[in-house]
Amino acid sequence: MQIWSWHGFFTYLGSPYIFCGALITVYMTAVSMMMGFLLGLLIAVTKRSQRRLLSWPARFYVWFFRGTPLLVQLVVIYAGLPKLDIRLSVMACSIIGLTLNEAAYLAEIIRAGLNAVPTGQIAAARALGLSERQIAWRIAFPQAFRLIIPPLGNSVNGLLKTTSVTSVISMEELMQRSQILVQDQFMVLELFSVAALYYLLMTTAWDFLQRRIEHYAERPYRRQQKSVSVEATKLSVATQDAR
Amino acid sequence: MITLDNVTKSYGAFQVLKGCSAEIGRGEVVVVCGPSGSGKSTLIKCINALETFEGGQIWVDGLAVRSAQTDHSALRAKAGMVFQSFELFSHLSILDNIMLAPHLVQKRVKDEIREHAKTLLRRVGLERHADKYPIALSGGQQQRAAIARALAMKPDVMLFDEPTSALDPEMVQEVLQVMMELACEGMTMMCVTHEMGFARQVATRILFVDAGEIVDDCPAADFFAGRCSVRAQAFLRFEADHPG
Repeated sequence: MQIWSWHGFFTYLGSPYIFCGALITVYMTAVSMMMGFLLGLLIAVTKRSQRRLLSWPARFYVWFFRGTPLLVQLVVIYAGLPKLDIRLSVMACSIIGLTLNEAAYLAEIIRAGLNAVPTGQIAAARALGLSERQIAWRIAFPQAFRLIIPPLGNSVNGLLKTTSVTSVISMEELMQRSQILVQDQFMVLELFSVAALYYLLMTTAWDFLQRRIEHYAERPYRRQQKSVSVEATKLSVATQDAR
Repeated sequence: MITLDNVTKSYGAFQVLKGCSAEIGRGEVVVVCGPSGSGKSTLIKCINALETFEGGQIWVDGLAVRSAQTDHSALRAKAGMVFQSFELFSHLSILDNIMLAPHLVQKRVKDEIREHAKTLLRRVGLERHADKYPIALSGGQQQRAAIARALAMKPDVMLFDEPTSALDPEMVQEVLQVMMELACEGMTMMCVTHEMGFARQVATRILFVDAGEIVDDCPAADFFAGRCSVRAQAFLRFEADHPG
Protein backbone atom coordinates (compact mmCIF):
# COMPACT_ATOMS: atom_id res chain seq x y z
CA MET A 1 0.00 0.00 0.00
CA GLN A 2 1.18 3.46 -0.90
CA ILE A 3 2.20 5.86 1.88
CA TRP A 4 0.74 8.93 0.21
CA SER A 5 -1.16 9.30 -3.04
CA TRP A 6 -1.07 12.75 -4.60
CA HIS A 7 -3.62 11.57 -7.09
CA GLY A 8 -6.00 10.62 -4.30
CA PHE A 9 -5.36 13.89 -2.48
CA PHE A 10 -6.19 16.04 -5.49
CA THR A 11 -9.19 13.91 -6.44
CA TYR A 12 -10.68 14.42 -3.00
CA LEU A 13 -9.70 18.08 -3.00
CA GLY A 14 -11.70 18.60 -6.18
CA SER A 15 -14.55 16.36 -5.12
CA PRO A 16 -17.93 18.19 -5.22
CA TYR A 17 -19.12 15.87 -2.43
CA ILE A 18 -16.43 17.16 -0.06
CA PHE A 19 -16.81 20.74 -1.27
CA CYS A 20 -20.54 20.70 -0.54
CA GLY A 21 -19.73 19.25 2.88
CA ALA A 22 -17.59 22.32 3.51
CA LEU A 23 -20.43 24.58 2.41
CA ILE A 24 -22.74 22.81 4.85
CA THR A 25 -20.17 23.44 7.58
CA VAL A 26 -20.08 27.14 6.72
CA TYR A 27 -23.88 27.27 6.66
CA MET A 28 -24.20 25.56 10.04
CA THR A 29 -21.59 27.87 11.55
CA ALA A 30 -23.22 31.03 10.21
CA VAL A 31 -26.73 30.11 11.28
CA SER A 32 -25.87 28.83 14.75
CA MET A 33 -23.51 31.76 15.34
CA MET A 34 -26.19 34.32 14.51
CA MET A 35 -28.93 32.60 16.49
CA GLY A 36 -26.51 31.86 19.31
CA PHE A 37 -25.52 35.52 19.41
CA LEU A 38 -29.12 36.69 19.77
CA LEU A 39 -29.84 34.08 22.46
CA GLY A 40 -26.52 34.90 24.13
CA LEU A 41 -27.40 38.60 24.16
CA LEU A 42 -30.69 37.82 25.86
CA ILE A 43 -28.95 35.62 28.43
CA ALA A 44 -26.19 38.18 29.05
CA VAL A 45 -28.72 40.95 29.67
CA THR A 46 -30.87 38.83 31.98
CA LYS A 47 -27.83 37.53 33.84
CA ARG A 48 -26.82 41.13 34.56
CA SER A 49 -30.29 41.93 35.88
CA GLN A 50 -30.71 42.94 39.51
CA ARG A 51 -33.82 40.79 39.65
CA ARG A 52 -33.11 37.22 40.69
CA LEU A 53 -36.15 35.98 38.85
CA LEU A 54 -34.31 36.91 35.66
CA SER A 55 -30.67 36.40 36.58
CA TRP A 56 -31.03 32.95 38.12
CA PRO A 57 -32.48 31.21 35.05
CA ALA A 58 -29.72 32.83 32.98
CA ARG A 59 -27.06 31.62 35.41
CA PHE A 60 -28.57 28.16 35.34
CA TYR A 61 -28.54 28.13 31.54
CA VAL A 62 -24.87 29.06 31.29
CA TRP A 63 -23.95 26.63 34.06
CA PHE A 64 -25.80 23.77 32.37
CA PHE A 65 -24.74 24.26 28.74
CA ARG A 66 -21.10 24.96 29.53
CA GLY A 67 -21.02 22.10 32.01
CA THR A 68 -22.16 19.31 29.72
CA PRO A 69 -20.51 18.10 26.51
CA LEU A 70 -21.92 19.28 23.20
CA LEU A 71 -21.86 15.66 22.07
CA VAL A 72 -24.25 14.69 24.83
CA GLN A 73 -26.50 17.69 24.13
CA LEU A 74 -26.70 16.75 20.46
CA VAL A 75 -27.55 13.13 21.16
CA VAL A 76 -30.22 14.13 23.69
CA ILE A 77 -31.83 16.48 21.16
CA TYR A 78 -31.55 13.97 18.33
CA ALA A 79 -32.81 10.97 20.27
CA GLY A 80 -35.00 12.74 22.80
CA LEU A 81 -37.19 15.02 20.70
CA PRO A 82 -38.78 12.18 18.65
CA LYS A 83 -39.94 10.64 21.95
CA LEU A 84 -41.91 13.82 22.54
CA ASP A 85 -43.27 13.38 19.04
CA ILE A 86 -41.24 16.28 17.72
CA ARG A 87 -39.66 15.19 14.46
CA LEU A 88 -36.94 17.40 13.10
CA SER A 89 -34.31 16.93 10.41
CA VAL A 90 -30.74 16.11 11.34
CA MET A 91 -29.79 19.59 10.18
CA ALA A 92 -32.37 21.21 12.47
CA CYS A 93 -31.20 19.11 15.43
CA SER A 94 -27.58 20.03 14.73
CA ILE A 95 -28.29 23.73 14.51
CA ILE A 96 -30.44 23.69 17.65
CA GLY A 97 -27.67 21.90 19.56
CA LEU A 98 -24.90 24.17 18.29
CA THR A 99 -26.99 27.30 18.93
CA LEU A 100 -27.94 26.35 22.49
CA ASN A 101 -24.35 25.40 23.31
CA GLU A 102 -22.73 28.42 21.68
CA ALA A 103 -25.19 30.84 23.29
CA ALA A 104 -23.88 29.92 26.74
CA TYR A 105 -20.32 30.88 25.81
CA LEU A 106 -21.36 33.95 23.82
CA ALA A 107 -23.46 35.16 26.76
CA GLU A 108 -20.30 35.37 28.88
CA ILE A 109 -18.40 37.19 26.13
CA ILE A 110 -21.23 39.68 25.65
CA ARG A 111 -21.53 40.16 29.42
CA ALA A 112 -17.84 41.05 29.59
CA GLY A 113 -18.38 43.60 26.81
CA LEU A 114 -21.36 45.18 28.53
CA ASN A 115 -19.46 45.38 31.81
CA ALA A 116 -16.67 47.26 30.02
CA VAL A 117 -18.86 50.08 28.69
CA PRO A 118 -17.86 53.23 30.64
CA THR A 119 -20.41 53.82 33.41
CA GLY A 120 -19.96 57.57 33.00
CA GLN A 121 -21.40 57.45 29.49
CA ILE A 122 -24.36 55.45 30.78
CA ALA A 123 -24.93 58.12 33.44
CA ALA A 124 -24.65 60.84 30.79
CA ALA A 125 -27.27 59.05 28.67
CA ARG A 126 -29.53 58.82 31.72
CA ALA A 127 -29.01 62.52 32.44
CA LEU A 128 -30.16 63.28 28.88
CA GLY A 129 -33.41 61.45 29.60
CA LEU A 130 -32.82 58.28 27.54
CA SER A 131 -34.78 55.25 28.73
CA GLU A 132 -32.93 52.14 29.85
CA ARG A 133 -33.94 50.42 26.61
CA GLN A 134 -32.63 53.30 24.51
CA ILE A 135 -29.39 53.30 26.50
CA ALA A 136 -28.99 49.58 25.83
CA TRP A 137 -29.55 49.77 22.07
CA ARG A 138 -27.93 53.13 21.33
CA ILE A 139 -25.02 53.27 23.79
CA ALA A 140 -24.25 49.97 25.52
CA PHE A 141 -24.65 47.39 22.72
CA PRO A 142 -22.75 49.30 20.01
CA GLN A 143 -19.83 49.98 22.34
CA ALA A 144 -19.82 46.47 23.78
CA PHE A 145 -19.87 44.97 20.29
CA ARG A 146 -16.67 46.71 19.32
CA LEU A 147 -14.95 45.44 22.46
CA ILE A 148 -15.94 41.82 21.95
CA ILE A 149 -15.01 41.40 18.28
CA PRO A 150 -11.73 39.58 19.06
CA PRO A 151 -13.29 36.97 21.40
CA LEU A 152 -16.26 36.69 19.03
CA GLY A 153 -13.74 35.92 16.31
CA ASN A 154 -12.39 33.13 18.48
CA SER A 155 -15.89 31.74 18.80
CA VAL A 156 -16.56 31.76 15.07
CA ASN A 157 -13.21 30.11 14.42
CA GLY A 158 -13.90 27.49 17.08
CA LEU A 159 -17.43 26.88 15.90
CA LEU A 160 -16.27 26.21 12.32
CA LYS A 161 -14.43 23.18 13.67
CA THR A 162 -16.85 22.27 16.44
CA THR A 163 -19.57 21.66 13.83
CA SER A 164 -17.75 18.40 13.14
CA VAL A 165 -19.15 17.03 16.40
CA THR A 166 -22.56 16.88 14.70
CA SER A 167 -21.22 13.93 12.70
CA VAL A 168 -22.18 11.78 15.73
CA ILE A 169 -25.84 12.33 14.90
CA SER A 170 -25.02 11.56 11.26
CA MET A 171 -25.01 15.14 10.09
CA GLU A 172 -23.31 15.08 6.70
CA GLU A 173 -20.98 18.00 7.05
CA LEU A 174 -17.33 18.16 5.99
CA MET A 175 -15.98 15.74 8.60
CA GLN A 176 -18.73 13.15 8.23
CA ARG A 177 -18.41 13.18 4.44
CA SER A 178 -14.66 12.66 4.73
CA GLN A 179 -15.25 9.70 7.02
CA ILE A 180 -17.77 8.26 4.58
CA LEU A 181 -15.25 8.43 1.75
CA VAL A 182 -12.61 6.76 3.91
CA GLN A 183 -14.75 3.61 3.77
CA ASP A 184 -14.34 3.69 0.02
CA GLN A 185 -10.57 3.50 -0.58
CA PHE A 186 -9.11 3.80 2.94
CA MET A 187 -7.07 6.87 2.01
CA VAL A 188 -7.32 8.18 5.57
CA LEU A 189 -4.34 10.51 5.43
CA GLU A 190 -5.21 12.07 2.09
CA LEU A 191 -8.86 12.61 2.98
CA PHE A 192 -8.22 14.06 6.40
CA SER A 193 -5.55 16.32 4.93
CA VAL A 194 -8.11 17.60 2.46
CA ALA A 195 -10.56 18.16 5.30
CA ALA A 196 -7.88 20.01 7.30
CA LEU A 197 -7.12 22.18 4.27
CA TYR A 198 -10.78 23.06 3.90
CA TYR A 199 -11.03 24.00 7.58
CA LEU A 200 -7.90 26.11 7.19
CA LEU A 201 -9.42 27.87 4.17
CA MET A 202 -12.62 28.59 6.04
CA THR A 203 -10.88 29.93 9.13
CA THR A 204 -8.59 32.05 6.95
CA ALA A 205 -11.59 33.54 5.14
CA TRP A 206 -13.09 34.34 8.53
CA ASP A 207 -9.82 36.00 9.60
CA PHE A 208 -10.10 38.40 6.68
CA LEU A 209 -13.75 39.09 7.37
CA GLN A 210 -13.06 39.70 11.04
CA ARG A 211 -10.33 42.17 10.18
CA ARG A 212 -12.74 44.13 8.00
CA ILE A 213 -15.35 44.20 10.74
CA GLU A 214 -12.74 45.33 13.26
CA HIS A 215 -11.50 48.03 10.94
CA TYR A 216 -15.03 49.33 10.58
CA ALA A 217 -15.79 49.21 14.31
CA GLU A 218 -12.54 50.96 15.21
CA ARG A 219 -13.31 53.92 12.96
CA PRO A 220 -14.50 56.23 15.76
CA TYR A 221 -11.47 55.36 17.88
CA ARG A 222 -8.66 56.32 15.51
CA ARG A 223 -6.99 59.55 16.50
CA GLN A 224 -6.28 60.70 12.95
CA GLN A 225 -9.61 61.76 11.59
CA LYS A 226 -9.01 64.23 8.80
CA SER A 227 -12.55 63.96 7.67
CA VAL A 228 -14.88 61.02 7.56
CA SER A 229 -15.73 61.51 3.89
CA VAL A 230 -12.06 61.58 2.84
CA GLU A 231 -11.46 58.32 4.65
CA ALA A 232 -14.52 56.75 3.08
CA THR A 233 -13.32 57.62 -0.43
CA LYS A 234 -9.87 56.27 0.36
CA LEU A 235 -11.45 53.03 1.48
CA SER A 236 -13.47 52.61 -1.70
CA VAL A 237 -10.38 53.39 -3.79
CA ALA A 238 -8.45 50.76 -1.89
CA THR A 239 -11.10 48.10 -2.49
CA GLN A 240 -11.21 48.99 -6.18
CA ASP A 241 -7.44 48.61 -6.35
CA ALA A 242 -7.72 45.23 -4.73
CA ARG A 243 -10.08 44.12 -7.43
CA MET B 1 -36.90 76.82 39.79
CA ILE B 2 -35.22 74.32 42.13
CA THR B 3 -36.19 73.74 45.72
CA LEU B 4 -34.18 71.52 48.01
CA ASP B 5 -36.09 70.60 51.14
CA ASN B 6 -34.15 68.88 53.90
CA VAL B 7 -32.46 66.36 51.57
CA THR B 8 -30.73 63.47 53.33
CA LYS B 9 -28.74 60.57 51.94
CA SER B 10 -26.57 57.83 53.42
CA TYR B 11 -24.18 55.24 52.10
CA GLY B 12 -24.72 52.63 54.81
CA ALA B 13 -23.70 54.20 58.09
CA PHE B 14 -22.06 57.19 56.39
CA GLN B 15 -24.37 60.15 56.01
CA VAL B 16 -23.40 62.09 52.87
CA LEU B 17 -26.17 64.68 52.97
CA LYS B 18 -27.46 65.81 56.36
CA GLY B 19 -30.58 67.75 55.55
CA CYS B 20 -29.76 70.18 52.75
CA SER B 21 -32.26 72.94 51.98
CA ALA B 22 -31.98 75.73 49.42
CA GLU B 23 -34.01 77.64 46.90
CA ILE B 24 -32.71 78.49 43.45
CA GLY B 25 -34.64 81.01 41.43
CA ARG B 26 -34.88 81.38 37.66
CA GLY B 27 -31.82 83.09 36.16
CA GLU B 28 -29.65 82.58 39.21
CA VAL B 29 -26.09 81.32 38.90
CA VAL B 30 -25.35 79.33 42.02
CA VAL B 31 -21.87 78.03 42.70
CA VAL B 32 -21.59 75.09 45.06
CA CYS B 33 -18.18 74.88 46.67
CA GLY B 34 -16.56 73.15 49.58
CA PRO B 35 -13.85 70.62 50.42
CA SER B 36 -13.55 67.31 48.57
CA GLY B 37 -15.86 64.62 49.86
CA SER B 38 -18.28 67.11 51.36
CA GLY B 39 -21.22 65.88 49.27
CA LYS B 40 -21.35 68.64 46.61
CA SER B 41 -21.41 66.27 43.64
CA THR B 42 -23.88 63.94 45.34
CA LEU B 43 -26.17 66.88 46.01
CA ILE B 44 -26.18 68.10 42.42
CA LYS B 45 -26.72 64.55 41.11
CA CYS B 46 -29.77 64.19 43.34
CA ILE B 47 -31.42 67.04 41.45
CA ASN B 48 -31.74 65.07 38.19
CA ALA B 49 -32.19 61.73 39.97
CA LEU B 50 -28.81 60.31 38.97
CA GLU B 51 -28.45 59.68 42.70
CA THR B 52 -31.28 58.57 44.94
CA PHE B 53 -31.90 60.10 48.36
CA GLU B 54 -33.83 58.74 51.31
CA GLY B 55 -35.18 61.81 53.05
CA GLY B 56 -36.59 65.20 52.10
CA GLN B 57 -37.69 66.32 48.67
CA ILE B 58 -36.41 68.20 45.65
CA TRP B 59 -38.67 70.11 43.26
CA VAL B 60 -37.52 71.03 39.79
CA ASP B 61 -39.96 73.43 38.16
CA GLY B 62 -42.79 71.88 40.16
CA LEU B 63 -41.76 68.25 39.55
CA ALA B 64 -41.03 66.23 42.68
CA VAL B 65 -37.81 64.23 42.17
CA ARG B 66 -38.44 61.58 44.81
CA SER B 67 -41.81 60.35 43.65
CA ALA B 68 -43.02 57.25 41.87
CA GLN B 69 -45.30 59.40 39.73
CA THR B 70 -42.54 61.59 38.34
CA ASP B 71 -41.31 60.71 34.87
CA HIS B 72 -37.53 60.82 35.23
CA SER B 73 -37.17 61.43 31.53
CA ALA B 74 -39.22 64.63 31.73
CA LEU B 75 -37.32 65.75 34.80
CA ARG B 76 -33.97 65.18 33.13
CA ALA B 77 -35.04 67.04 30.02
CA LYS B 78 -35.51 70.12 32.23
CA ALA B 79 -32.07 69.85 33.81
CA GLY B 80 -29.06 69.59 31.51
CA MET B 81 -25.97 68.09 33.10
CA VAL B 82 -22.26 68.47 32.39
CA PHE B 83 -19.83 66.01 33.95
CA GLN B 84 -16.28 66.23 35.19
CA SER B 85 -14.97 63.82 32.54
CA PHE B 86 -17.20 64.97 29.64
CA GLU B 87 -18.72 61.54 28.99
CA LEU B 88 -19.36 62.09 25.30
CA PHE B 89 -20.57 58.92 23.59
CA SER B 90 -17.32 57.65 22.12
CA HIS B 91 -18.90 55.73 19.22
CA LEU B 92 -20.81 58.74 17.88
CA SER B 93 -19.61 61.84 16.06
CA ILE B 94 -19.90 65.17 17.86
CA LEU B 95 -22.98 66.07 15.81
CA ASP B 96 -24.61 62.71 16.57
CA ASN B 97 -23.77 63.10 20.26
CA ILE B 98 -25.74 66.34 20.26
CA MET B 99 -28.63 65.09 18.12
CA LEU B 100 -29.22 61.76 19.88
CA ALA B 101 -31.32 62.81 22.89
CA PRO B 102 -33.48 65.48 21.19
CA HIS B 103 -34.33 62.83 18.60
CA LEU B 104 -34.94 59.89 20.95
CA VAL B 105 -36.38 61.65 23.99
CA GLN B 106 -38.10 64.74 22.62
CA LYS B 107 -38.97 63.19 19.23
CA ARG B 108 -38.14 66.43 17.47
CA VAL B 109 -37.80 66.56 13.70
CA LYS B 110 -34.30 65.64 12.50
CA ASP B 111 -33.81 68.68 10.27
CA GLU B 112 -34.74 71.03 13.07
CA ILE B 113 -32.42 69.21 15.51
CA ARG B 114 -29.54 69.35 13.03
CA GLU B 115 -29.94 73.10 12.56
CA HIS B 116 -30.19 73.59 16.31
CA ALA B 117 -27.11 71.41 16.88
CA LYS B 118 -25.11 73.37 14.33
CA THR B 119 -26.12 76.64 15.96
CA LEU B 120 -24.99 75.29 19.33
CA LEU B 121 -21.70 74.06 17.88
CA ARG B 122 -21.05 77.52 16.43
CA ARG B 123 -21.84 78.99 19.82
CA VAL B 124 -19.22 76.84 21.56
CA GLY B 125 -16.76 77.31 18.70
CA LEU B 126 -16.79 73.75 17.37
CA GLU B 127 -18.59 74.08 14.05
CA ARG B 128 -15.57 72.69 12.18
CA HIS B 129 -15.50 69.56 14.37
CA ALA B 130 -19.09 68.40 13.91
CA ASP B 131 -18.18 65.22 12.03
CA LYS B 132 -15.25 64.21 14.22
CA TYR B 133 -15.40 61.61 16.94
CA PRO B 134 -14.76 62.60 20.57
CA ILE B 135 -11.30 61.00 20.69
CA ALA B 136 -10.02 63.45 18.07
CA LEU B 137 -10.86 66.45 20.28
CA SER B 138 -8.93 68.01 23.15
CA GLY B 139 -10.37 67.91 26.66
CA GLY B 140 -11.56 71.50 26.44
CA GLN B 141 -13.23 70.88 23.09
CA GLN B 142 -14.88 67.73 24.42
CA GLN B 143 -16.28 69.59 27.39
CA ARG B 144 -17.62 72.37 25.17
CA ALA B 145 -19.26 69.71 23.00
CA ALA B 146 -20.75 68.17 26.16
CA ILE B 147 -22.21 71.56 27.09
CA ALA B 148 -23.72 71.84 23.60
CA ARG B 149 -25.15 68.33 23.98
CA ALA B 150 -26.88 69.33 27.22
CA LEU B 151 -28.16 72.60 25.72
CA ALA B 152 -29.65 70.74 22.75
CA MET B 153 -32.43 69.54 25.05
CA LYS B 154 -33.40 73.20 25.65
CA PRO B 155 -33.15 72.74 29.43
CA ASP B 156 -34.52 75.20 31.98
CA VAL B 157 -31.50 74.77 34.21
CA MET B 158 -27.92 73.60 33.68
CA LEU B 159 -26.13 71.52 36.28
CA PHE B 160 -22.34 71.44 36.19
CA ASP B 161 -20.41 68.86 38.19
CA GLU B 162 -16.82 70.08 38.40
CA PRO B 163 -16.74 70.84 34.67
CA THR B 164 -13.11 71.99 34.62
CA SER B 165 -11.48 69.65 37.14
CA ALA B 166 -10.19 67.23 34.49
CA LEU B 167 -8.73 69.94 32.24
CA ASP B 168 -5.32 71.50 31.71
CA PRO B 169 -5.15 75.12 32.88
CA GLU B 170 -5.24 76.57 29.34
CA MET B 171 -8.31 74.52 28.52
CA VAL B 172 -10.09 75.59 31.70
CA GLN B 173 -10.47 79.11 30.33
CA GLU B 174 -12.16 78.12 27.08
CA VAL B 175 -14.75 76.12 28.99
CA LEU B 176 -15.31 78.85 31.60
CA GLN B 177 -15.76 81.33 28.76
CA VAL B 178 -18.64 79.30 27.35
CA MET B 179 -20.17 78.99 30.82
CA MET B 180 -19.89 82.73 31.44
CA GLU B 181 -21.63 83.50 28.15
CA LEU B 182 -24.37 81.10 29.15
CA ALA B 183 -24.73 82.85 32.52
CA CYS B 184 -24.89 86.25 30.83
CA GLU B 185 -27.69 85.03 28.59
CA GLY B 186 -29.75 84.38 31.71
CA MET B 187 -29.49 80.58 31.96
CA THR B 188 -30.26 79.23 35.42
CA MET B 189 -27.10 77.45 36.51
CA MET B 190 -25.91 75.37 39.41
CA CYS B 191 -22.24 74.62 39.32
CA VAL B 192 -20.01 72.55 41.57
CA THR B 193 -16.53 73.94 41.11
CA HIS B 194 -13.24 74.85 42.70
CA GLU B 195 -12.81 77.75 40.27
CA MET B 196 -13.15 80.63 42.68
CA GLY B 197 -12.33 83.12 39.91
CA PHE B 198 -15.37 81.93 37.99
CA ALA B 199 -17.48 82.08 41.14
CA ARG B 200 -16.36 85.67 41.82
CA GLN B 201 -17.16 86.78 38.27
CA VAL B 202 -20.51 85.17 37.50
CA ALA B 203 -22.06 83.62 40.62
CA THR B 204 -25.07 85.34 42.08
CA ARG B 205 -25.08 83.01 45.06
CA ILE B 206 -22.69 80.69 46.80
CA LEU B 207 -23.61 77.49 48.58
CA PHE B 208 -20.74 76.39 50.78
CA VAL B 209 -21.04 72.69 51.59
CA ASP B 210 -19.04 70.96 54.30
CA ALA B 211 -19.54 67.42 55.63
CA GLY B 212 -22.95 67.03 54.03
CA GLU B 213 -24.39 70.32 55.24
CA ILE B 214 -25.03 73.60 53.49
CA VAL B 215 -23.03 75.77 55.86
CA ASP B 216 -23.38 79.02 53.93
CA ASP B 217 -26.04 80.19 51.52
CA CYS B 218 -25.36 83.81 50.73
CA PRO B 219 -24.93 86.31 47.89
CA ALA B 220 -21.57 85.91 46.17
CA ALA B 221 -20.53 89.45 47.11
CA ASP B 222 -21.03 88.75 50.82
CA PHE B 223 -19.26 85.41 50.58
CA PHE B 224 -16.13 86.82 48.98
CA ALA B 225 -16.17 89.85 51.27
CA GLY B 226 -15.74 87.42 54.15
CA ARG B 227 -19.30 87.70 55.49
CA CYS B 228 -19.55 83.93 55.78
CA SER B 229 -18.94 81.12 58.26
CA VAL B 230 -15.56 80.50 59.85
CA ARG B 231 -15.26 77.21 57.97
CA ALA B 232 -15.88 78.96 54.65
CA GLN B 233 -13.33 81.62 55.48
CA ALA B 234 -10.74 78.94 56.19
CA PHE B 235 -11.66 77.27 52.88
CA LEU B 236 -11.28 80.56 50.99
CA ARG B 237 -7.86 81.21 52.52
CA PHE B 238 -6.77 77.71 51.55
CA GLU B 239 -8.04 78.11 47.97
CA ALA B 240 -6.25 81.47 47.71
CA ASP B 241 -2.98 79.85 48.80
CA HIS B 242 -3.45 76.85 46.47
CA PRO B 243 -4.97 78.14 43.27
CA GLY B 244 -6.43 75.50 40.93
